[in-house]
Amino acid sequence: MTITPHTATAGDTLPSVTFGPITRTTLALYAGASGDHNPIHIDLDFAKQAGLQDVFAHGMLSMAQLGRVATNWAGTDRLRGLSSRFTALTPVGATVTCTGRVVERFEKDGAPMLRIALTATIDDGTQTLRGEALISAA
Amino acid sequence: MGIFDRSSAGHESPPIDVIVERGAVAFFAETIGETNPIHSDAEAARAAGHPDVMAPVTYPVVIDMAAAKESERKSMPALLEVIKADMRYLLHGNENYDYHGPIFAGDTVQVISRVKGFSDAKGGKLEIAHLEMEIRHPGRGTLTVARRDLIHRLG
Repeated sequence: MTITPHTATAGDTLPSVTFGPITRTTLALYAGASGDHNPIHIDLDFAKQAGLQDVFAHGMLSMAQLGRVATNWAGTDRLRGLSSRFTALTPVGATVTCTGRVVERFEKDGAPMLRIALTATIDDGTQTLRGEALISAA
Repeated sequence: MGIFDRSSAGHESPPIDVIVERGAVAFFAETIGETNPIHSDAEAARAAGHPDVMAPVTYPVVIDMAAAKESERKSMPALLEVIKADMRYLLHGNENYDYHGPIFAGDTVQVISRVKGFSDAKGGKLEIAHLEMEIRHPGRGTLTVARRDLIHRLG
């Protein structure tokens, strides 16, 4: 049975979102689209100068996928909050899989809300983001 | 010793106007793989009852970057410059959005940036800057409050 914000209860899982593989082109486009021109994501010379072996993906590109897990399921207008901690770097070539799980149904200012735990994981099993969405269940 | 300029704690930028552009919203939506047409097709957005394409939920970061660029054009220091961030050692620790209303193409919004403070972690190997950005609309009030931790890796 398909779960909805009205029927969801703790432990239910949301449809996952997969993004990638993330290429250097993806990062160049994201830099342009987001306005985040930090060269650490797009300029290999700069990354090497900073002591890294390669550029790495913008954390916000993966957070956008966490957002999609929440909004694909509930719709953008139900989203009240989205947060993410960036726990590991996402290398070039990675495919990111994002999942969501209902943690609790609770009331906030008299309105029903859902707290969703979100994760992003790359191919080798490393968790790269850990986040949370607050969704109106009214 | 850290790199951030900790004397910037408490800094608040003057409001910076940012115009939310339809093409820019659509380009961002397509780049992140967003397939819901309300984010990229004005007709689909209007059919869904919206005035124009709606910004995806992580679009506040784009508005924030646009505000930083606009500050530089006006010869005002952007927030990264205010806190003296060093891009070679900078990591994004976390990002948090509170949503109070949707953002649409065609909106002119105001961005106010604040330096909330600084902290240390892992025995001084990491230093953390705590930032806040508020996106306001002149008619619809506060639309998004973003909180962001930026980290210098020192060790």
